[in-house]
Amino acid sequence: MAPDRDETTVRHMAEALGLTVLAGSACLDRPIHGALVSDLLSYVMASGRAGDVWITIQTHANTVAVAALASLAAIVVAAGFEPGDDTLSRAEEEEIPLLMSSQPAYVLAGRLFELGVR
Amino acid sequence: MDERSIGHFEFPILGRAYFLGGRASTSVKKALREAGVDDDTVQRVAVACYEAEMNVVLHARSGYVSVDVYPSRVDVAISDHGPGIADVTKAMTPGWSSASDEARALGFGAGMGLPNIKQQSDLMSLESEPGQGVVLRLTFYRGGGNGAGS
Repeated sequence: MAPDRDETTVRHMAEALGLTVLAGSACLDRPIHGALVSDLLSYVMASGRAGDVWITIQTHANTVAVAALASLAAIVVAAGFEPGDDTLSRAEEEEIPLLMSSQPAYVLAGRLFELGVR
Repeated sequence: MDERSIGHFEFPILGRAYFLGGRASTSVKKALREAGVDDDTVQRVAVACYEAEMNVVLHARSGYVSVDVYPSRVDVAISDHGPGIADVTKAMTPGWSSASDEARALGFGAGMGLPNIKQQSDLMSLESEPGQGVVLRLTFYRGGGNGAGS
């Protein structure tokens, strides 16, 4: 499905925030409908909505399962934390864009808000 | 309960295998989509199923999830072999958890699992035999049930 012209996509976010794409590069045109910041997986399961970007410092493979099951748009790993190979391969398998940044979660959330993601 | 099941699936869950957590729920989500169940119902089942699957992974030796699709509802049963739940009322209290430090470090054990399952589902029953295991039965009404996150 082609995104609307003015809709923020994962690709747009990656470029604007200078994120490194680690996995799921085939799914970057997915539209972003909102965002949440949390390191508690149950909170994300309870509060995440389809199309949300999830900013976290968790790096293990369960994050990908959570994102896939909650139909999230992408995972952004903040503050320079680096996901392992098992997380990357699971993200490819589940078609979840996995991105990282050296910026802390607070800054990433602020910049995403400035981009118009509410 | 007089409806005939139009689809039945079962998937195993391996206890302690943290990094395989979510495999069974992912399979359930795919199977329900292929069965033509609406997105909202699939989402609610997927979220509840994942919480229940992680409870099995974190606390039990093994288990399985069994799903029956009916024209008007989806029934899910998650059964495990494990320590069971000594005090179900306590376990249902938001914020209460018996998860290990290892599990908490991974972002589990916030005591939100069972309350979240209750919120996502339309009917929930929890039977536990301490020392034997847990059977969690959930019903999701298709189309007209709880909105996820509401």
